[in-house]
Amino acid sequence: MSTDGKRWGRRGAVAAAAAGLALVISGCSSPGGSAGKAGEAGTARTAPDSGKTTTVTIHLTAQGCQPEPAKVPAGPVQFNVTNTSAGGVSEAELRTADLAHILGEQENLTPGLSGGFSLTIQPGTYKISCPGASQPDWTLTVTGKATGPSWQSNPQLAAAVRGYAGYVKQNTAGLVGHTRAFCRAIDAGNMNQAKVAYPQARVYYERIEPVAEVWGSLDTSIDGRWENPVTVKSQFTGFHRLEQMLWQDSSLNGAPAMCSGLVKNERQLLTLVSSAQYNPLEMASGATDLINEAGTSKISGEEERYSNTDLPVFAANVEASMKVVTLLRPYLQGKDSAIVPLIQQRDAAVASLLADYKASPGYDDTGYVDYSTVQNSQRRQLSTAVNALAEALSKLSAQVSG
Amino acid sequence: MTTAEDTERAGPSRRRLLTGGGLFGAGALAGGLTGYFAQPDGAAGAVLGDGNQRIPFYGAHQAGIITPAQDRLAFGTLNVVSGAARADLRDLLREWTGAAALMTAGRLVGEQTEPMAPPVDTGEAVGSPVSRLTITIGYGPSLFDHRFGLAARKPSALADLPPLPNENLDPDYTGGDLCVQACSDDPLVAFHAVRNLARIGMGVVAHNWMELGFGRTSTTSTAQATPRNLLGFKDGTRNIKAEQAGLLEQHVWVGRETDQPWLRGGSYLVARKIRMFVENWDRDYLRDQENVIGRAKVSGAPLSGGTEFSTPDFAAAGADGEPAIPADAHIRLASPEHNDGTRILRRGYSFTDGIDPQAGTLLGGLFFIAFMKDPAQFIRLQRSLAGDALGEYIHHTGSGVFACPPGLRPGQSWGDALFA
Repeated sequence: MSTDGKRWGRRGAVAAAAAGLALVISGCSSPGGSAGKAGEAGTARTAPDSGKTTTVTIHLTAQGCQPEPAKVPAGPVQFNVTNTSAGGVSEAELRTADLAHILGEQENLTPGLSGGFSLTIQPGTYKISCPGASQPDWTLTVTGKATGPSWQSNPQLAAAVRGYAGYVKQNTAGLVGHTRAFCRAIDAGNMNQAKVAYPQARVYYERIEPVAEVWGSLDTSIDGRWENPVTVKSQFTGFHRLEQMLWQDSSLNGAPAMCSGLVKNERQLLTLVSSAQYNPLEMASGATDLINEAGTSKISGEEERYSNTDLPVFAANVEASMKVVTLLRPYLQGKDSAIVPLIQQRDAAVASLLADYKASPGYDDTGYVDYSTVQNSQRRQLSTAVNALAEALSKLSAQVSG
Repeated sequence: MTTAEDTERAGPSRRRLLTGGGLFGAGALAGGLTGYFAQPDGAAGAVLGDGNQRIPFYGAHQAGIITPAQDRLAFGTLNVVSGAARADLRDLLREWTGAAALMTAGRLVGEQTEPMAPPVDTGEAVGSPVSRLTITIGYGPSLFDHRFGLAARKPSALADLPPLPNENLDPDYTGGDLCVQACSDDPLVAFHAVRNLARIGMGVVAHNWMELGFGRTSTTSTAQATPRNLLGFKDGTRNIKAEQAGLLEQHVWVGRETDQPWLRGGSYLVARKIRMFVENWDRDYLRDQENVIGRAKVSGAPLSGGTEFSTPDFAAAGADGEPAIPADAHIRLASPEHNDGTRILRRGYSFTDGIDPQAGTLLGGLFFIAFMKDPAQFIRLQRSLAGDALGEYIHHTGSGVFACPPGLRPGQSWGDALFA
């Protein structure tokens, strides 16, 4: 589904305001120099009134990465990292004192590049690490009083967020690759092969949708459906127009150009997600949003109205949502929460219902039956099960927002 | 088409009705089904209505537009049936005028005196207080096609709405030659009004679609408290109010700008059936809900601060430096400040159609009604809402636009000016 809106961005802002924290994530200029529209993703936010931002400068050298100053007050800290000539050192990491967890980092700084990262940091001792240097670990001391709970200094939450960033990036790369295969079938005029390749590419998008929706107009050009929100024929581009050509028009007239436009948009998305930053609240909300998606546009058959390949994308929504749960689980278990078992139980209920529609090789090789053969009463069972799952998932946001 | 048989069947009431306001105020007739109100002698054995609960039917403008919004709505659209002629439509509008004058005065559309004939009035509102019933009619664009010789009377501003963002219209809930909006604080009284007008019109008009509203979501008078919609938020805080005569002239009443003199003093009604995905909404965390709307949920105050009626400060920044009222907040995108001063008078109701048979989720939301000087005002606002954060949770599924003629003086009928 694609509706305009920058929900993710607003949620980021909300997180900062709700917790009264200086939630400053990112703001980094990556080596490619492109932070893209990452600002829209709630990333390049300035510190609220809870404290002044302290700047720590780190020069990467062959000898190491000494932070200057090496002692800072608790609160928002901006790390500026530069590499003028250190060929064998290309990153700086902020780690817990035992080196077990990375809390923030700037990678891929080859000589001549600079970058940075920022976060709110709590009192304690930390390490700045720069693998490859003769002294790779340097101490950073943070003094003063705690500025409030911050996920960034919680290793489990920080790891979950890093894991999610990787998941989104990986699936966006998969999206580009599988869409290229889809386009090759179209270019070859092989309609049957294109029909098989279409859902294979779609599932990647459906896993990253809450993130992709941040860039509203890009999302619309990739995934916009006719009438929702696209009402101008010339703006109906991307997956669903190609779906219409394949299944309804049975014509590939104009399809190759449209498909290469789709790939171009996806590559832009890949650039954007590569520099986007996330937080646990956004992850949790996004998990609920994914199930909301499954429960509305997939159950109704609106999403894949020409191809009836709704079941694999439905499964992709659920899968990506549960990926978030898996990532947050180490943290949630520490909170003695009953919510994870409930989510797992309800996910199992969805999976059990979905199993009834699995087929091999299935409709268009999707592994599932044609969704148009799923009766209303069966759709209602699926809907009821995903609604129960979403309801449980919606309890996560308060647990991870500190 | 009025047949001889129809006339005979409904004879007593119709003759009476065709005398215009003749019986209006003549007092209760004894016996039988005589009125909504319990009679002073308690004959109908029900609650005694308060005279103040009657809204005058006659006036410069139709009642039911700036009338303080009643609690309940019955809204019907009807199509003229094939075979009906111009004269049939004209006669029907006269009959409707008489029936509406009676019902809004707390009377039945006809007293039952003949035991061997079907009751003239359907009877379900007997004993119910009239509860500020108003009946408002409007003409849809399709009424001005070739069928009734009205093409030259079509206001240039009256046309089907263009495709708009976030809609997927169900043809079963779209359009209509005519609309009837009945509002009352009593749901049965409102329903009774639409039902009886449709019954009177049988053979000339037929139901197209209908919706019941169970709770008002707008305030049209400063004397009313702001109600809440199904999202749990106060709705209509910044609505135009009946007391704001200048704003009404500027934004609501059709004036000299129209190319059709018969419509001056009238207004355009835009109806939109808006489904809310309430289950999804209910799962969103409170702070985000407030950011979607741009107001605090409990107090209704804008996120820029103050109290419910504080003017939103769209330039204000929050603690994090971002706009206090987010860039995609509903109240920002719908505001006059964001739309070159465009405003409309909203008069919507919450509705439910039960359960979605496919998804098992609630089928309900906002039955949006708004009055304006020109439908272009609604189009402008709806296009602005293309990036509305609320768009994720709502979907427009029904639509209609109607030209509501001005009010009547006693002795005048709906259609007189249109057909003159």
